[in-house]
Amino acid sequence: MRLPTMAGSVREDAPAALVVFLVALPLCLGIALASGAPLFSGVISGIVGGIVIGILSGSQLMVSGPAAGLTAIVVSAIGTLGSYPAFLMAVVLSGGVQIVLGALRAGVISYYFPSSVIRGMLAAIGLILILKQLPHAVGWDHDFEGDESFVQPDGDTTFTAIDHALHAIEPGALLIAAVSLALLTVWDKTVLKRLKLLPGPLVAVLAGVGINAALQQSGSNWTLLAEHLVQLPVASSAGEFFSFLSLPDFSASLRADTWRVAVTLGVVASLETLLSLEATDRMDTHKRVSPPNRELFAQGVGNALSGLIGGLPMTGVIVRSAANIDAGGKTKLAAILHGVLLLVAVVTIPALLNSIPLASLAAVLLYTGFKLAHPRIFRAMWGQGWKQSLPFAATIVAILLTDLLVGITLGLAMAFAFILLDEVRFECFTVTSPPGAVLKRVQLQEQVSFLNKASLAKLLASLEPGDRLEINGSSCRVIHRDVLEQMADFQRQALERGIDLRLVGIDLPTPPLGH
Amino acid sequence: MEYIRRLFAQNRDIVADICKHDPEFFAKRANKQEPHFLFIGCADSRVPIETLTGVAPGEMFVHRNIANQVRSVDLNLLSVLQYAVEVLDVEHVIVCGHYGCGGVKAAMGDQSYGLVDHWLAGIRDTCARHEMELARLGDDKRRFERMVDLNVLRQVHNLTRTPIVQSAWKRGRRPMLHGIVYDIHDGLLKELVMQVDGNDRARELLTTQRDSVGG
Ligand SMILES: [Zn+2]
Repeated sequence: MRLPTMAGSVREDAPAALVVFLVALPLCLGIALASGAPLFSGVISGIVGGIVIGILSGSQLMVSGPAAGLTAIVVSAIGTLGSYPAFLMAVVLSGGVQIVLGALRAGVISYYFPSSVIRGMLAAIGLILILKQLPHAVGWDHDFEGDESFVQPDGDTTFTAIDHALHAIEPGALLIAAVSLALLTVWDKTVLKRLKLLPGPLVAVLAGVGINAALQQSGSNWTLLAEHLVQLPVASSAGEFFSFLSLPDFSASLRADTWRVAVTLGVVASLETLLSLEATDRMDTHKRVSPPNRELFAQGVGNALSGLIGGLPMTGVIVRSAANIDAGGKTKLAAILHGVLLLVAVVTIPALLNSIPLASLAAVLLYTGFKLAHPRIFRAMWGQGWKQSLPFAATIVAILLTDLLVGITLGLAMAFAFILLDEVRFECFTVTSPPGAVLKRVQLQEQVSFLNKASLAKLLASLEPGDRLEINGSSCRVIHRDVLEQMADFQRQALERGIDLRLVGIDLPTPPLGH
Repeated sequence: MEYIRRLFAQNRDIVADICKHDPEFFAKRANKQEPHFLFIGCADSRVPIETLTGVAPGEMFVHRNIANQVRSVDLNLLSVLQYAVEVLDVEHVIVCGHYGCGGVKAAMGDQSYGLVDHWLAGIRDTCARHEMELARLGDDKRRFERMVDLNVLRQVHNLTRTPIVQSAWKRGRRPMLHGIVYDIHDGLLKELVMQVDGNDRARELLTTQRDSVGG
């Protein structure tokens, strides 16, 4: 399979960009709203994330922009620093932190994200999309678009919101969501899928706009009002739009608080980006591998720039990336174009955008969520045994019941515990004597690490008085110093317990003074 | 047939005697052996080493052939040696010759005995190598006894050259090799060379043989 080029994929990337733009717009607004930041700060962040990071990033499919995973940090940081311009300074500095992290090659940690956790994160985001978009699909638009936390800013939890929504169904929203979902399914399952220029999500949104317009024409009380539509502040001129831009308060850079926020933002945003990068690479049918350190650099530049012109901090984001892939995006051109569309459309056609029903977008996101959390993924993970399926399940449950960051941390902790357990149980030696030999002889492997101490301790514990054991380390390249000290202890113990222990080719350390 | 019957009768008596002192004697040894010694001796019926040294069953691993030869091509001996050193972890390997050894005597003469001549070729070599020293010894009895000693030293040296002993020494100073001789006239064991436990001692072994040229 030949790798797609930007020039050769315009026919796929342009429509995908349009879909990503439609999905991104309410997310940008919703996240700004939830962050307690000016409404346009999310759009600015989306524009920079699309255009600047799109150009600089090594990833072909990942879309960057304002992230729900950062809202909690943003809300408290604006409170701590006292003003939005002061917070913007922290965003600029956080970009610097990310550039430094990239230069220090901190991106290598992405090689250590266990597969089970990444898959769990994707499935959890899929489930969250389904659960959080269900209320939007029936016209309950109280929570902000893009929320990923269990406890919502409006006081509801994911589940009580669904309960509330089901008791207050807007028939118009339900109709639009149902038609949109039906169109998405038809488009995905039939030959219509081949219409590259008219992807399903675009059709669904257009249908939503059309239905609502028709309802309005007929004077139906099913007509969706502004609160159930995209709500973009309408700038009467381009000049007014650019007045939304704001500069950071540079003097804030002299305060320690600002730096603390900057480091937190830089580290958390980098982590979320690297997770998204890994997850997006996994969804890529061309199996392209994105360089993580280059990504940190790109994100750093993006955040610095976003902060400089009044935008929210950003990360690589999974929902928009998944929508991009679903809509047929092939190269980074799609991400860049979505940024351009955000810039152009918000300035030129805000009124038109404000006719898009959130229920249509909910249908698109429900469909994306279903693909991310497809039952086939759960079956596959279940088949991989408990060491894989348990961290997978734990990640999902934790993300669903807390938020992305806490959930991922718990999942990582469990996955690493299992990995460590395997490592600790791993026998770092091979037995070279035949079974039943009077002298049991073991050969240490080339590298004996700190983690191998347990298997060696177990070996010695299995001996009885009168037993003979020879430990041969002549083919070792490295033996951890703690293991050497452990051997020295072994020798003393062996003497006391009447065990004939012989160490071959192992240079025991001289014990520290006073020992 | 009468002789064979006697073996069974004596066996029953001895077992009964042992069990009278320790009813568990055989049960205890049935499942494992951890001998300290590997004994390489002559097949001669007058060298009953266990009886002479009083070792109990389970204490000594034994290999015997005509004139206690250690030959690098002898799969039988090498298997015994490898098993004793690497699996049983014996501490001592003893090469034991004996005065009045028919094998050594045959090798010193010109008479042909058939197949066994091939087996004794090594002793003929030793004999030739020490021809001058042996010639200087006055009577045949002393020459014969000296040849028995030299044969033992030669076999200890052969042991040190086996890959089995070499790789064991690479891991530690074990096993220790000893050369001894049994005097069938008075029943006593005599030390020839003791505690060869490394290549440094193995080299001394050769100089000892050379030093004795004058004596
Ligand atoms: Zn003999």
